[in-house]
Amino acid sequence: MAGGNVKLESLTKQFDDVTAVDDISIEIQAGEFFSLLGPSGCGKTTTLRMVAGFEPPTSGKILLDGVDVGNWPPHRRNVNTVFQSYALFPFLTVAENVAFGMKYKSVPKSEINTQVAEALALVQLSGYEKRRPNQLSGGQQQRVALARALVLRPSVLLLDEPLGALDAKLRRTLQVELGALQKQVGITFMYVTHDQEEALTMSDRLAVMNRGRIAQLGTPDEVYNEPADAYVADFLGVSNLMDARVEPGGNGGGPCRVRLGDFVLEAAAGQLDATGAVKVAIRPERINLHPYEAGGANRVPGMVERLVFLGSTTQIFVRLATGSALQTLVRNDGAALPYSQGTPVSVGLPADSLRVLPDPGVSVAEIRDKTLGDQLLDLTSTTSS
Amino acid sequence: MASAVGEAVTAPSGRATVAWRGRPRGNPWRRPWVMEGFTWLYIIWSIVPIAIAVLFSFNKGASQATWQGFSTKWYIGNSVNSVLHNPSLHQAVIQTLNLAVLTTLITVPIGVGFAIGIDRWRSRTSTGLNFVMIFSFVIPELLLAVGLFLLVTQALTFIRLGTTAEVAGLVVWNISWPAIIVRARLVTIGRTYEEAATDLGASRLGAIRRVLIPLLMPAIFASAVLVFASTVDDFVIVEQLSSTAPTQPMSVLIYSNVHGGLSGPALNALATIMLFFSLVVAVVGFVAYRWMTRGERTKSSSAALTSIAGM
Repeated sequence: MAGGNVKLESLTKQFDDVTAVDDISIEIQAGEFFSLLGPSGCGKTTTLRMVAGFEPPTSGKILLDGVDVGNWPPHRRNVNTVFQSYALFPFLTVAENVAFGMKYKSVPKSEINTQVAEALALVQLSGYEKRRPNQLSGGQQQRVALARALVLRPSVLLLDEPLGALDAKLRRTLQVELGALQKQVGITFMYVTHDQEEALTMSDRLAVMNRGRIAQLGTPDEVYNEPADAYVADFLGVSNLMDARVEPGGNGGGPCRVRLGDFVLEAAAGQLDATGAVKVAIRPERINLHPYEAGGANRVPGMVERLVFLGSTTQIFVRLATGSALQTLVRNDGAALPYSQGTPVSVGLPADSLRVLPDPGVSVAEIRDKTLGDQLLDLTSTTSS
Repeated sequence: MASAVGEAVTAPSGRATVAWRGRPRGNPWRRPWVMEGFTWLYIIWSIVPIAIAVLFSFNKGASQATWQGFSTKWYIGNSVNSVLHNPSLHQAVIQTLNLAVLTTLITVPIGVGFAIGIDRWRSRTSTGLNFVMIFSFVIPELLLAVGLFLLVTQALTFIRLGTTAEVAGLVVWNISWPAIIVRARLVTIGRTYEEAATDLGASRLGAIRRVLIPLLMPAIFASAVLVFASTVDDFVIVEQLSSTAPTQPMSVLIYSNVHGGLSGPALNALATIMLFFSLVVAVVGFVAYRWMTRGERTKSSSAALTSIAGM
């Protein structure tokens, strides 16, 4: 179906005295796979529920193909939802579940069966028509929920953590399928998740949310590689954040000179014209370790604290001489690692990977507390990302 | 035993976990003999009197105390004083069923409506109504019965004593069953199914009719069974609100005849029939409930409801 442009204008939702969604403005293009990413309580699900029509906005507009639907009841909006709990009707068969909404679409009876069969074929569940939801696995139930929504050809499909209840391996398979399916049907997907891996692998664009606001909006590549602030850097995958100060005297357009304790490093990414207190961030995979004796530019001495074997890589926790703790990833290529607990090393922080971020006024530990909650719940997927 | 304990204490720490061996009272997995025994005493205490009453309904003689051989004469055989042939006895059976069916048919829909109203349209009114629902569990039945009697005879005189007043009273007394049981189910169901239905195109009422009511069916049915059984058993309200003989159900008839008048095993037969109705309804209810919730056997929600419904 044509259309599928979603525009949120200054959307705000307050529950009593809590502001769940705070003045959000997003435009989602027709046919786009758009994700809202953030920890629990950041307002992403509330935003989705307002688009679906389950919650009336406190203020602001929800434009669906140019029409403000903010105060329409859910059944009048041409959007459909895939719920985290699937919400399949347990007293109906798979086919009856998928056909549930057809009744309201004035589809001829003969047409219903064909369309239900097509929808089930789309999610690879042909032959399961007569089963009941409780006879299906979690992944299959999730597909039925998807078919039930897609069969109505909504202009926008809303997905509320649809893979949240599945185990890590199945989740990864379905991520790929879901992404391919979206390209196939061409419907706008608005996808809510707290799993950064899901958001990064599937989305055309994503919005990272924090405390009811959008912290950053962009393509996965932009958001991952050029995080706007320390919060986004930390939430998207494991990021090493350190407190630093910009050396006075300006940089003359070149790399920014930052001081970490007794060491002055060059940083060539991020906000290079910053002054005073900043945070610097570096992705674990960009850090390289050298023997302690080897000197060189942008290197800080440190000591290996812990090694965690992850399969294809080994995670190495290093304590720098400045006191900061970093983690880095080393590929396991068969050779024994020359590190063990207590090995002194020289930690290379390449200038083009060292990113200067504005100081949010809170400590690294506080940022980590806020972003860590969900990541701990989701340890299986973060360890391999 | 002493040596066993001593051995466990001196044993290496790895074996200390088996220290309860030889000390039955220290074993946390032992059978709970005391609780089990107490439970059986309770079961016997509550079943034996009923069993004796049922037994004597089959007595050959006219005694309710001395066994004189088996016979069904008090049910069908005796041409004067059997349930089948004595008009006041079989009239009571019919009136009991009449009241139970009418009360169930009226109470359950209203109670379901209350439950949905209280749980889904939260407001000051629904909070107040919720309190009233619990309130009727607390007030003495006799108080309600006498109050209703005065109301019907003094103020609302257009409701005459008899079947109308009895049904009205029983509906008021039993309305909490469907309201509370259905509400418990509503809470465990949550709102997601209704949201899914409206999301797929159903209106608010359409979602209730096509999704919520089918999901509530086990609870609705369970509460119907309870209302029916409780109406069959009811005495206090119907005693106050009945008038002439044909409006007296079994419980009232048994009470008024047990000390004199029409006595003997025919009354036991009547009581047995009453018990039989309740049992049949309970068994039908249990089987139907299990059938209706067969799709959710593994879920904890049905276990919660099962315990609430006592089935």
